[in-house]
Amino acid sequence: MNLATDPWVWVAAIMTLAVFSFLYKENPFYRAAEHLFVGVSNGYFITFTWHRVLVPSLIDPVGHGQKLWLILAAIVGALYFTRFIPKISWLVRIPIAIFLGYGSGMSLLRSVEAGIIAQVKATIVTRATFANWQAGLWALIILVGVVCTITYFFFSAERKGVLKPISYVGIIFVMVGFGASFGYTVMARISLFIGRLQFLLGDWLGLIR
Amino acid sequence: MAASGSAGRKGFWERLQRIDRRWIYLVIWLVVMVPLIKPFPIKPVASPPVQQMFSYIDSMPEDKALIISVDYSPDTQAELHPMTLALLRHAFATDRRVGLVATTVYGLGLGEDALREVKREFDSVATRHEDSVISGEDFIFWGWTTPLLTMMLGMGERITNVFPVDYYGARTESLPMTRHVKNYNDVGILVSVAGSSMPISWVAYAQTQFGLRIGCGTTAVSAADYYTYLNSGQFTGMLAGMRGAAEYEQLTREKMDRLGMTWRVRNRGTEAMSSQTAAHIAIILFIVVGNIGYFATRRRKS
Repeated sequence: MNLATDPWVWVAAIMTLAVFSFLYKENPFYRAAEHLFVGVSNGYFITFTWHRVLVPSLIDPVGHGQKLWLILAAIVGALYFTRFIPKISWLVRIPIAIFLGYGSGMSLLRSVEAGIIAQVKATIVTRATFANWQAGLWALIILVGVVCTITYFFFSAERKGVLKPISYVGIIFVMVGFGASFGYTVMARISLFIGRLQFLLGDWLGLIR
Repeated sequence: MAASGSAGRKGFWERLQRIDRRWIYLVIWLVVMVPLIKPFPIKPVASPPVQQMFSYIDSMPEDKALIISVDYSPDTQAELHPMTLALLRHAFATDRRVGLVATTVYGLGLGEDALREVKREFDSVATRHEDSVISGEDFIFWGWTTPLLTMMLGMGERITNVFPVDYYGARTESLPMTRHVKNYNDVGILVSVAGSSMPISWVAYAQTQFGLRIGCGTTAVSAADYYTYLNSGQFTGMLAGMRGAAEYEQLTREKMDRLGMTWRVRNRGTEAMSSQTAAHIAIILFIVVGNIGYFATRRRKS
């Protein structure tokens, strides 16, 4: 055993054990760690935003008489705080509307291109797809999976006739997808636990060589 | 006798259905802890998405930089931090210029931690100044800024406009690496190591608008959703969860050995694979035994 000498490693280890204590039952140590985490995270975020965004991007240039139009942007941004004054709280709609308009305008076309058009293109099977039989086989499976799954979620028509078997195949693809997601989720949760144990056993107790 | 045996079996399965979950936690704790202290050998074999990403970075033109976007926070550090470390080792071992950027404030400390660790490894064996890893020449840690959209799109025009100063406070315009890396045209690939949907945002803004290649390092939870982007070619490669990190670590280790860089580093992804395997076997057994118990008790009730 080679115990850590860094006091911050000890703080992190004690906090980790406090959070793990929840697995036994709810207790004050867990609650203290939880509240501390929320407080420290917010403090870190606010401090960093002030020093790294507001000071260099707004306060410094305006203080030196440059980019004075930023004052207008700052005033509009500050309207978010009117949420706390009931009489003028309606003013908060102005920055929200600007931000929504900007965000939607910027992302709409690009999201459609990246999330729909490129994805649909990837399901198109051409002669070139079969240059390699394995790639061709997988392309066909993907095509069948996409068509059947979309058919399963087609709620405007009763599932009978040809729609019934296609929907049934769609359910199978959906179930396989859920299974893969569940398997990956288990792997992720175990990984997070392993990460904490690597810290406790390695960085703190020095048991991992 | 037969009746009491049957009652005993019935009692066992019913007790199993009502077992206190804390016993399961204890078993998982032991199953994960013991292989960490006494590991059994596992050599990760790279899956095609990992190999794809490694091969691209390994063979991209020398004048192109690698950008790593640290898009995760401490809650997913266990899975994703080993990926950042492995990517940095690979890049510095093959003399690639690296740009680091964070899309969340919480990624800043993690990015700096990764840079410091890998820089220390390379510097400790460097015999000449040129062999060490130098901030501003071999890498720039641009840091974080907001809003996200403006950052992603602005970097395609001119990175120094988006980040006038780097994370350490140096003027980016004056850094030697800036002469070679001005915007996405000078970037070979951007790898988004993310515990959120950030890789898709990089695809939507940086790839759709500027044609930038995107690689993805993701938590295992998100991996199933991202395979569609891999299949469509929008991701050049993908590292999924701790296993993906271990596979990339293995490829990097082999590459560094070939280059004569044989110093020992702590590969946390590879180190975790024994525990990961043992835990998966335990969970599969839990599922099988739980289902047998469920059907056994249901049949008796009916």
